[in-house]
Amino acid sequence: MTKKIAIIVEHNAGELKPIIYELLSMAQKIMTLEECKITLFIIGEGIDKLSQSISIETGHDIYAVHTPGFLKYNGSLYKEIFSKLFTKKKFDYICAPHSTSGMDYAPALSVALQSVCISSVEDVLVEDGKIYFFRSMFGEKLSAKFVNGPNPLVMTIQPGSFKPFFPKKEKTGKAKTGAITRMVYKCNENTMVFTGSKVSPCKSSELDKADVIVSGGRGIGEAQNYKYIEMLAKLFPRSATGASRPICDYGWVKYSKQVGITGTFVSPKLYIACGISGSNQHVEGIKNSKFIVAINSDRQAPVFQIADVCIVEDAIEFIRLFVKKFKKEKLITQGLEKAAIKASARMKN
Amino acid sequence: MKILVCVKHVMESESKIRINDSRKWVEYSSSTRFEMNKFDTYAIEEALLIKERFADSRIHAISIGPDHARDTLRRALGMGADEGIHIKDKNIGFRPPLLTASWIAAYAKNKGYNLILTGIMSDDEMNAQTGPMIAQILSIPCCTATIYEKISPDKKMVSVEREIEGGARDGFDIKLPCVLTIQTGINCPRYPALSKVLRAKKKELEVIDSNSFDEIKQGLTLKSIRSPKKKMKGIFLEGTREDKMDQLMDILGKQALFQ
Repeated sequence: MTKKIAIIVEHNAGELKPIIYELLSMAQKIMTLEECKITLFIIGEGIDKLSQSISIETGHDIYAVHTPGFLKYNGSLYKEIFSKLFTKKKFDYICAPHSTSGMDYAPALSVALQSVCISSVEDVLVEDGKIYFFRSMFGEKLSAKFVNGPNPLVMTIQPGSFKPFFPKKEKTGKAKTGAITRMVYKCNENTMVFTGSKVSPCKSSELDKADVIVSGGRGIGEAQNYKYIEMLAKLFPRSATGASRPICDYGWVKYSKQVGITGTFVSPKLYIACGISGSNQHVEGIKNSKFIVAINSDRQAPVFQIADVCIVEDAIEFIRLFVKKFKKEKLITQGLEKAAIKASARMKN
Repeated sequence: MKILVCVKHVMESESKIRINDSRKWVEYSSSTRFEMNKFDTYAIEEALLIKERFADSRIHAISIGPDHARDTLRRALGMGADEGIHIKDKNIGFRPPLLTASWIAAYAKNKGYNLILTGIMSDDEMNAQTGPMIAQILSIPCCTATIYEKISPDKKMVSVEREIEGGARDGFDIKLPCVLTIQTGINCPRYPALSKVLRAKKKELEVIDSNSFDEIKQGLTLKSIRSPKKKMKGIFLEGTREDKMDQLMDILGKQALFQ
C-alpha cells in the first residue's frame, strides 16, 4: 500500500527556505523501502507564486492555506490549521524542519493527532524491512536509534543532516506539475496575537567582515581567559573574536560575539574554535568557513567532526604558549631579515 | 500568580559518557553526578523574577524521576520556589516526552496554575517537546524559546518575545494560562541562598507515584544508542604539545594568514 508523506514548506514572507530540499532528501530515503506519495503543505500570506513554483519544481501536489493578515509564524494558528488538516487527511509521516517554528508546532501537533513525535532527526536507515530514525542526545555525544509503531509519525529534521535533493525535471515531453489546492483560512485566533518583530541584538558586522575568527566556549574556563582568545586573534590581520552561546549566556562576553544559529552565521577563511564542544547550534553557524581549527581537551567533542585540524589540548594553555612561541619566532625572523638586509647592504658597499 | 515550573534531574552535562549493557541508556555509577537541567534553571529564575513583581505569587517546582530527583527539587526550593512535587518513577533510562508531558499535565489540570514554565529543552534527551506537549494536552497556548516576558497588571495576559533564527525576535500577546519554554540568556539564574537551602532540606515534598497515572500508549521505541558515526574530515595533530604547536604554525603559515 502506498504510504503518504506530508512535507511542510517553510518560507520567509513568500521566499522559500532551502531546508525543503533536505526534507525531500529524507523522504527519498523512506521511499527506498516503501512506495510513498509526497504532498506539500504551506501556510501564509502572499504564497501563490511560491506554491506555483514549488509545484512545478517538485512535481508534488501542494496544499496552500492562505491566512490573510498573518504574515508571520503564529504557533496557535499553525497548530489549529495543521490539526484540522491532518485529522481530515491522514498521513503516515508528517515532516517539518527543526526550525524555531517546526520545534514549536510539531510536538503539539503530534499530541493533537494522537501520534508520535521525533525531533531533530539526523538520519533515516532501512534495515530488515524496517525504518529506523536517528537523533542525537547528551550534547551530541550519543546517537539514538528509534523505531515507530503503527501510529503516524510527526518529525522535525535537523538542518544540515541530509544532502539536499533536487527533483530532476523530466527531460522529455511535458514536465509533471503538482496540483495546487488553494484554501483560505479565516482566523479567529485570539489567544496568541503577533505584536511585531525585532531585529537581532546579536548581529555583528565585525564577524561578517573578518577573514579570521577566533572563538571561545565554555572550555576557556572563566571570563578573564577570553583575553587569550583576543591575543590569538591579533596575530591575524582582518580578524575578529567570537563566542559560543553559553559564554554569552554567562555574561562573559557580549551577545554580539555569538556565532551560531541564534547569533551570526559566519564564513571566514579561517575559524579557530577554542574550548567549544560544537553543539548543532554552533556548528550550523560555522560550517561555511573555509578552514576550521578546533582546540578542545575532550577528544569526543563533536566540534572535531567538522574541523580540518583537530588539537586535543587545554585550549587556554595551548593558545597562551602558541602566541608566545609565535611572537618569539617572529622576532627571530625579523632579526634574520634585518641581518640579511644589513649583509646585502655591506655587499653593495 | 500561581506558577508551575518543570525541572529535570539530569546527569551533569560535562560527565564522561559510557553506554550501559542494555545499550539503551548511559551507565550511571556511584560517582555519577547529577544536577538540575541547566535550561530549567532559567525557568526557575524567571518564576522568581515574576514573584518579585507579583508578591502574592506561589512557585511550585515539579520533577519526575527516581528518589535522587529530589535533589533537583531541593535546589529549586533553595533558589526560592515555594513547594516541590516529586513524581516518583523508578524507571531509569529513556522516558518518551509524551509520558513526561502527560503526567505533568495530569497533575497540573484543575489546579489553577496561571503559568507553566520549563527550560527550552533538556541537557540529556534534547527533545524540546515536553513544554509544547503539556500545553496541547491542557488545551492552552504555548510559546517556545521565550527570551522576554511581561505579565499584564491584571494577570490576564503575557507579552512575550520568542527567539527565532539569527537571534531576531517575534513578539506576541498571549492569554493566560499558558506554557512558556524559556530560552537561555533571558536572565541570570541565581545560586541557592544558604538560609533557603537549610529550609529546603526540612521542607516536605509532595510525592506521587507514577503508577497512579493512567497508562499511556506510546508507539515510539528506543532501539539502541551508540557513539555517533564519525564524519571526520580533518586530521588530529599528534605528539607533544610542542609538536602540535609547530604543526599548527606550519599549516597556518602556508595559508599566509598571519600578520
